[in-house]
Amino acid sequence: MTEIVVVGGGLTGLLASIFAVDRGAKVTLVARGRGGLTLSHGCIDVWGKATPSRALSRLRMSHPYRLAGAESLRTGLEFLRDLCHQADLPYIGNISRNLRLPTALGTIHTSALAPKSLALGDLRDNTPITIAGVDGFRDFYPELVVANLLKAGIAINDALQLPLPLSAARRDPYAMDLARSFDDQHFRDEVARIWKPRLSGIKRLGVPAILGLFNPQLAHEELQERLGMALFEIPTLPPSLPGLRLERLLQRKAMEMGVFVIEGPKVLGRVDGSAKPARVSGVVLQTAGGGRTLTADIVLLATGGVLHGGLVFQQNGRVQESVLDLPVSYDEGRQHWTAYSPLETQPYANYGLRVNEQMQPLGADGLPIYTNLFCAGGLIAGADRSGEGSRQGIGVATAYRAIEAALG
Amino acid sequence: MIRPDLTTDQCLKCNICTSACPVASVSDDFLGPKAVGPQAARYRYPHRPPSVPSLTWCSGCGICSLVCPHGVAVAEINIQAKAEIEKRRKTYLRDYLISRPELLGRLASPIASLANKSLSSRPMRWLLEKSLAISSNAPLPTFASQSLRTRLRSKCVDTPPDPGLESDQMVAFFHGCSSNYYEPDLGILAVTILEQLGQSVIIPPQKCCGLPLQSNGLLTAARRYAQANISWLAPFARRGIPIVGTSTSCTLSLKHDYRVILGLQDDESNIVASSTFDFFEFLTHQLADEIDQLDFKPLIADVIYHPPCQLRSHGIGFPALKILERIPGLQIRLSESDCCGVAGTYGIKQEKSLVAYNVGRTIFEQAKQSEVDFVLSDSETCRWWIAKHTGLPVYHPLEIMAKAMDIV
Amino acid sequence: MPEISTQLLVIGGGVTGLGVAWDACLRGLKVVLIEQNDIGQGTSGRYHGVLHSGARYAISDPGSAKDCATENPIIRHIAPHTIEETGGFFVSTPADPIDYPDRWFAACHEHGVYVEEIPTDLALRTEPSINPRISRAFRVLDASLDSFELLQTLVVAIQRAGGQVWLRHRLEDLTLQGDAVVGAEVTNLTSGERITIRANYFVNAAGPWVRRIANLAGIDIPIALGKGAMIALASRPVHTIINRCRPPSDGDIIVPVGTVAVLGTTDVEVESPTELAIGQREIDFLLAQCEILLPELAKSRPLRAWAGIRPLYRSSGEGFGRTRGLPRGHVLLDHNDRDGVKGMASIFSGKLTTFRLMAEQAVDLVVEQIGVGLSCRTAEIPLDPERTQFFQLPKRFEEIATPDQTEREQIICECEWVNRSAIEEAIKSSSSLDLDDIRRKLRLGMGPCQAGFCGYRAAGIAYEVAPSPHTDGRLEAFLRARWRGLRPLGWGETLRQMEITRRIYVDLLHTPETQEPPQ
Repeated sequence: MTEIVVVGGGLTGLLASIFAVDRGAKVTLVARGRGGLTLSHGCIDVWGKATPSRALSRLRMSHPYRLAGAESLRTGLEFLRDLCHQADLPYIGNISRNLRLPTALGTIHTSALAPKSLALGDLRDNTPITIAGVDGFRDFYPELVVANLLKAGIAINDALQLPLPLSAARRDPYAMDLARSFDDQHFRDEVARIWKPRLSGIKRLGVPAILGLFNPQLAHEELQERLGMALFEIPTLPPSLPGLRLERLLQRKAMEMGVFVIEGPKVLGRVDGSAKPARVSGVVLQTAGGGRTLTADIVLLATGGVLHGGLVFQQNGRVQESVLDLPVSYDEGRQHWTAYSPLETQPYANYGLRVNEQMQPLGADGLPIYTNLFCAGGLIAGADRSGEGSRQGIGVATAYRAIEAALG
Repeated sequence: MIRPDLTTDQCLKCNICTSACPVASVSDDFLGPKAVGPQAARYRYPHRPPSVPSLTWCSGCGICSLVCPHGVAVAEINIQAKAEIEKRRKTYLRDYLISRPELLGRLASPIASLANKSLSSRPMRWLLEKSLAISSNAPLPTFASQSLRTRLRSKCVDTPPDPGLESDQMVAFFHGCSSNYYEPDLGILAVTILEQLGQSVIIPPQKCCGLPLQSNGLLTAARRYAQANISWLAPFARRGIPIVGTSTSCTLSLKHDYRVILGLQDDESNIVASSTFDFFEFLTHQLADEIDQLDFKPLIADVIYHPPCQLRSHGIGFPALKILERIPGLQIRLSESDCCGVAGTYGIKQEKSLVAYNVGRTIFEQAKQSEVDFVLSDSETCRWWIAKHTGLPVYHPLEIMAKAMDIV
Repeated sequence: MPEISTQLLVIGGGVTGLGVAWDACLRGLKVVLIEQNDIGQGTSGRYHGVLHSGARYAISDPGSAKDCATENPIIRHIAPHTIEETGGFFVSTPADPIDYPDRWFAACHEHGVYVEEIPTDLALRTEPSINPRISRAFRVLDASLDSFELLQTLVVAIQRAGGQVWLRHRLEDLTLQGDAVVGAEVTNLTSGERITIRANYFVNAAGPWVRRIANLAGIDIPIALGKGAMIALASRPVHTIINRCRPPSDGDIIVPVGTVAVLGTTDVEVESPTELAIGQREIDFLLAQCEILLPELAKSRPLRAWAGIRPLYRSSGEGFGRTRGLPRGHVLLDHNDRDGVKGMASIFSGKLTTFRLMAEQAVDLVVEQIGVGLSCRTAEIPLDPERTQFFQLPKRFEEIATPDQTEREQIICECEWVNRSAIEEAIKSSSSLDLDDIRRKLRLGMGPCQAGFCGYRAAGIAYEVAPSPHTDGRLEAFLRARWRGLRPLGWGETLRQMEITRRIYVDLLHTPETQEPPQ
């Protein structure tokens, strides 16, 4: 059995480890901490700027989507969609048409796949919407949402505040805290009882994403039925429920399928000094007691970009890849890294490793540095994921392609 | 020099730790690890440290540090801050006593059956709750009449033996208080397994690891215990003899807490740390070949494995699973809870017992609903706590391994 | 065009102008003060936080040293709530001249500045982060001062004493009648309206703009503009102000103030009062210099960088270039005496520590010139009689962090513990809905996450309290302002913080990019 170590426990790493164990490999997943999904909207952004199925084939050859190939994206998405369906967290959508979902600011988020409880807020459906916040929750402002959606010409009825049957909290609740309440049957009954009379005449209601963590599907469907209207969720400030639900689903699935998950240690790569052509021999984990070596036939890096430490941006103007010090494609000199305004495209977001169509990191000569080293997700150079609206899609496609190339 | 307080600046306020905190998820008395940790640290001045009462709700489970993607030592910061509060007030008699399981063991062992009988009597438990605020519901361990060291006297040594052909396969066993005074049979099983795998087991001089003292903020005393253990164990470590323990809390102290929380950082503590192994970590890492040769007897049972929060903090994953998975007929489910709630001595305190119970409710309910035969956990306090609250037998995974190896 | 009359018009709402207005009010004068921006946007809001003991200037500027030494206890008396009793150390690092401390020590004594030599191991025990190789250590009476707090308190005190403070009012022109300044043309930047103000006397306290204002009266003042960059660290590695014992130069002081520690400072001449950009070399230099004082500096996160501009008097006609050597004492110019223009004086330069003394001297001149007004009382009368406690951040934090409150406030900015009702109050009482104004008042968004989380919350609250089509624009402007201070530090942890902000405002919220700033 081929032994593979996947480094990085975000969407990309979790998916890669699942793809790998599905193909019969013996998989160890090492994750420094939890991360990207907790911050995200839980949707799969493939190409936010236009219809994905049409746009992707027109991208330049060096774009991660082109390198991974259209089939990788399609198959990876299908796999993910099936997985979520089986785990009772269905995802709706496809790459032929983006969903148009309202954000917590009242702007519009275009995405290819979204969990059902969010997808029901698709604005291509003209049914007028009411947006509601909940008392005591400081991470959602329905009036602002409504004002901005109206500006965009969306049919909105109203903004309102709904109470929750909770005793006075001793600290401000996060979305997580409210979601745990919604996991409780009695709580849901109470909520339905209190909300229903305030919602007469409403056909479609949008609330912040707080409807359950452990049983979100159940909570959402039950409430929808009780209230007698279409009910959808809007993701808001981290910790974000839709992202957490997906993370939980993937972590459990990975473990169920036999992935050996090691949470906690930082990782350094190990090179097989004598091998020609060059190979990595495994990784060294910085565990509580010290270094522990893990040998593997294949190593896959899914360590992300700047945010979670895959790339380290140093004061001296250098950008370093954190596991094996692989050559990074970037602009030398700090003054080049950031743009003047926070909302514009940032040069640093494009930096990363150059890879080939097998997702192998390349050296200056354009050849793979190590024959058994692969890479996927945010660590790959050549895409402004925030600007393009492509973050999760690139993760899915490159994770699929990397495993296919490594084990296929 | 690793100093937790120097990691506070790495906090990006993402709240991933708060979302994963088992205590914050059931109690809003606890502001959350971020709020009382790196956030409050900005307001802690040496001449005027604020008292943050909420901090005492932290159970020290360590999940926050584990999930932080930015390297903030949240749990360690909180444990040190709690100790600062302790320093400024008188220690309760209760905390003094429950922090010293070795002392209690030594006193009660000669009168074991009397001690056990009286501690299990209702009136006595009522009295303990009223006078010392030890929850009458909390499971207290039973004392063995003969300690492990007494029964395995011949294996006890003061210094490492002279180097010879033997030392290649020699193991120094760290029994901890539980395997010495409370569950010596477990210790004997561990030793037997190691011997069957070709190891020669010796028992070095040692005392209580000191973790209960640390958890109760009594760092000065904890440091004394730590220094003693380091001095005794370092010669063994220097000789290349691995130190193996069956209690994940003890081994975490040796690997990590001594250096990072108690601040004892030098060559001796470093070599002890890097030579310490959790029992299953040792088996799967150092004795992988011998394990491969083993033939396991079938054991038909449906079980839940609950990895203790302390084991997670080792950063080695759940090595027991690698062995348990090989036992034919054993159906293993993973606990749905990151923490069972007892967190060492936290759950037996009367004022904490409700929160501790609520933290563990997930695993208690999971055990009841999935109708499992028994539960497995590597930490003694977890075992006693889960057994008490589910009514199910709870074993150390090594007991199951022993059974499958036909060691009775 | 509306016209008002007053006795004294003060131009400039920094600590100098506000100090003058306060002093004049207490002497019974009718005062109007105009400020083109919000309180704290100028140099006073960008300073590094030291209430000087005077020790720093004992050799280089004995005049300033003496003034600081006498004013220091007075400021403690009149505005204790703005001050934290950090104390100050002067230490000799291996990079500092060995002969300086003794000379300096003697100079301190000579000029009435308290200084006490202490054993180096006492200094190191008090502040374990200092370079362990210091050879000498001294204790002085420096303290840290929150200038935003001081400025706000001055505004309220002036208003209570019957004075008027007009924010967002820009001076367009000064009117002369013969050889006297008699009036000012002012634009209300919020409404666009023009107003004429007639006054008996005009005090030009416009800081870096002091020359431009003087030019409106046909007067020139040779000023050098010295830009000083500062970096705030996200937390405090020291709790005492640490100075290097050497001739004052760049990057030799570390000041704990509030929840941060400020590393300062540099001195680069610039052409215009709005040239506030900070270059990479300045940052690297500042950090490298401060690392000599704090060897473990790399473990602290630089939170943001900003610059303030010092107006420095170029009395001897030197050319452009090094501003570090120019005198830093305050300057009071009686334009009648100097330029033959009656009715106006300019007061500028100097230290925030001596603002009260500067105001006293200026208003003494005003009173002498217009023949009306009592004697100065600012040294005796506290600015806010109800606030007599020294600034105690831990205490304030404790009050907020206790969960057992019956009327718990909703915390909006978690880093700096700013609650919802304070934000609502600030929005309601402000003429503009600029979130940055609220930040200056309440410290919203000034913590490690730099408005990453509270920016959205504040925008939502602003919309609920005062609905406006400009809310998104204001959110973007707020984020841009925070970003400006982060960019010079855009590596390591800071870059991660910037990225997490983008994950929220771009990926999650799709905040629109507006092209123009909101009105």
